[in-house]
Amino acid sequence: MESGIFFSDYAKDMTLRRTPAQKIRLALAIVFAVAVPWFASNYQLTLLNQIGIAAIGAIGLNILVGFTGQISLGQGAFMAVGAYTSGLLAKNMGIPFWVAVPIASFVTAGVGAFFGIPSLRLKGLYLAIATLAAQQIIQWVITHWDFVTGGVDALVIPAPTLFGMRVNGEFRFYWIILFCLVLTIIFTVNIFRSKVGRAFIAIRDQDIAAEVMGVNLFQYKLLAFATSSFFVGMAGALTAHYRTIISWERFTIETSILYLAMIIIGGLGSVSGSVYGAAFMVLLPALLNNFGRAMHGTIPAFDQIIPFLQQGMFGIVIILFLILEPEGLVKIWRNIKDYFRLWPFSY
Amino acid sequence: MKRFSLLIVLLLIVLVAATACGGGGATSDTGPIKIGGIFDFSGPTSGPGTPYGQGIQAYVEWKNANGGIAGRQVDLISQDYAYKVSTAEQLYSQYVGEGIVAFQGWGTGDTEALRGKIADDKIPFMSASYSINLAKIDEAPYNFLVGTTYSDQMVIALQWIKDQGGKKVAILHHDSPFGQSPVPDGEAYAKANGIETLTIAMPGGATDLTPELSQVESFGAEYIIIQNVASPAALAVRNAKDLGMTAQFVCLNWCADESLVELAGDAAEGVVGTLPFTPPSVDVPGDDDVRAFVASKGEDLNKLGLHYTQGWVTMEVMAAGIEKVIKDGKPVTGENIRAALETISNFDTGGVTAPITFTPQSHRGNKALKLFQVQNGKWEAISDYIESSIE
Repeated sequence: MESGIFFSDYAKDMTLRRTPAQKIRLALAIVFAVAVPWFASNYQLTLLNQIGIAAIGAIGLNILVGFTGQISLGQGAFMAVGAYTSGLLAKNMGIPFWVAVPIASFVTAGVGAFFGIPSLRLKGLYLAIATLAAQQIIQWVITHWDFVTGGVDALVIPAPTLFGMRVNGEFRFYWIILFCLVLTIIFTVNIFRSKVGRAFIAIRDQDIAAEVMGVNLFQYKLLAFATSSFFVGMAGALTAHYRTIISWERFTIETSILYLAMIIIGGLGSVSGSVYGAAFMVLLPALLNNFGRAMHGTIPAFDQIIPFLQQGMFGIVIILFLILEPEGLVKIWRNIKDYFRLWPFSY
Repeated sequence: MKRFSLLIVLLLIVLVAATACGGGGATSDTGPIKIGGIFDFSGPTSGPGTPYGQGIQAYVEWKNANGGIAGRQVDLISQDYAYKVSTAEQLYSQYVGEGIVAFQGWGTGDTEALRGKIADDKIPFMSASYSINLAKIDEAPYNFLVGTTYSDQMVIALQWIKDQGGKKVAILHHDSPFGQSPVPDGEAYAKANGIETLTIAMPGGATDLTPELSQVESFGAEYIIIQNVASPAALAVRNAKDLGMTAQFVCLNWCADESLVELAGDAAEGVVGTLPFTPPSVDVPGDDDVRAFVASKGEDLNKLGLHYTQGWVTMEVMAAGIEKVIKDGKPVTGENIRAALETISNFDTGGVTAPITFTPQSHRGNKALKLFQVQNGKWEAISDYIESSIE
């Protein structure tokens, strides 16, 4: 019978997987990720791929919002920077996608850092408005810089190839997304065991105290914007190659808000929470759609209002979350684990 | 524990339901023909999207009640997607897994996003997005356009203006792929024909277009062409009346409908529209079936409006392609439907549209339409078919 998890040295305290149960769960997750595409239908793979891309973007946003405490409404635009950079490199210069995606991520990191400059002076709502400006400016540039981006027309990108094989279809692209997601998770989990990560968290908790302790605010805030945008750009670039056709309409302010909702529901300041939040926000509309379909025809008078019920449900579930568990899915998961670990004496 | 047990249950339902669906077999030789559809019943474009989707559903119901397509029933698997591209992608992929052989889309967003996938999956696709880009066979080999393209509409409007002796034209457009689509073709035509143009993007969500219209007035425009949806167009028409402007308005198809008349009231009087689909206020033989069908449901086609007929006819053209495949004794696959559609020549929609022709070189259904004008609150035809000069 244990009453908690305790360590007798710092090395153990710093390990990522501390208990046997955690190691088993990680192993199960790996087996699941590798095995599932062989059994899943195309539709299920579409959902998984959408979740994967959303998770990378949500982790990126969480680095900025959840860990560093800097709010951003420019998520959609930063994804667009990644998507268009990667897409244009592949289309116009014939650069293979596995080179174009990292380049696009770095470009987005630069753009993100640039638009992060106001964060030195602005906080909270004011910073939100400044990043909203970034969203609008980038969107305007994409739709009006016809010469480079093709303006408002959709950008058609050649299907990616890897080792001479055309990577089209859900199954093949699943592996690419999985690879990028795993890299993102490993990097992010580890960054918060380092000096940089601790500086981010110090800024979030109390920026004046952080500065007094020797954290260079300007440098670390920009670094947070750059790191965050790097992954957001990667998510955008993957979207471009996955869909092989993109238009600016995919990256509007609505996208920014959707991603904020993901990390709030999943859990602010948590890597696994970002993944749960992404999965939730992709699966919920799919579930509501399937529910609507199942209901179709059962009560004829009901048919007309099903679409509106779906929209309403979406809002209700989010509100329920905020009221019942503001710390998000990750906290719910932790509660479940604690409940079973400490059972039957759960307090 | 109780606090979150509810949420756990919710989550489990999400996971189970989302993974349980999907799968299913392909269309067999005798069973129903599966066609996918996504409509906007609850999103930002649900105004015209609802009657359009209902028109498609109604055609399928009517056809099935009358023996189906060459004796085979049609199973239209369709849902509301609220104009969300990611939902459109999910539904599309789900329906393909269930063995659909053709697809009915709706807006610019979903049509553009899916055009690569449908080419890979070989699924013929029709939607209410009439951008001329979709007519490029090499880029969009499975998209078919039943309506006259926006570019053709624009050029037809300018041809008419030229015949009226117009020299100065303002083009107001929605600032989006949909809105900008016909602008370059229109400007090129105007330049070649000695018409001066002023192009202005209409700001989204505007509640007052007086600044833009003042610009148009000082330019001295005799005609104003609008490529936008009905509510901003109605706003422009009303503002212009308040300013005492006398310029003639010409609306392309998405702003020329019944809701423009409803929203702009008296100010809409005299507005000209380039309408690929004849509104129900004008009686044509092609409307007989749809009129009888909605009457049997206790509804009035004039109230449902022209977007209802638009959906009906779009589905009718798709059904014509499928019928040909069955009559030729070939299996009903996306590839065969595409080939059959490409043999459709001068398909008569009974006066609802100009005759529809598809060839392997062109999926532009037609290049001609009639001009209509609001007279006493109703759209009335004011011209015969005018053909666009774009090749």
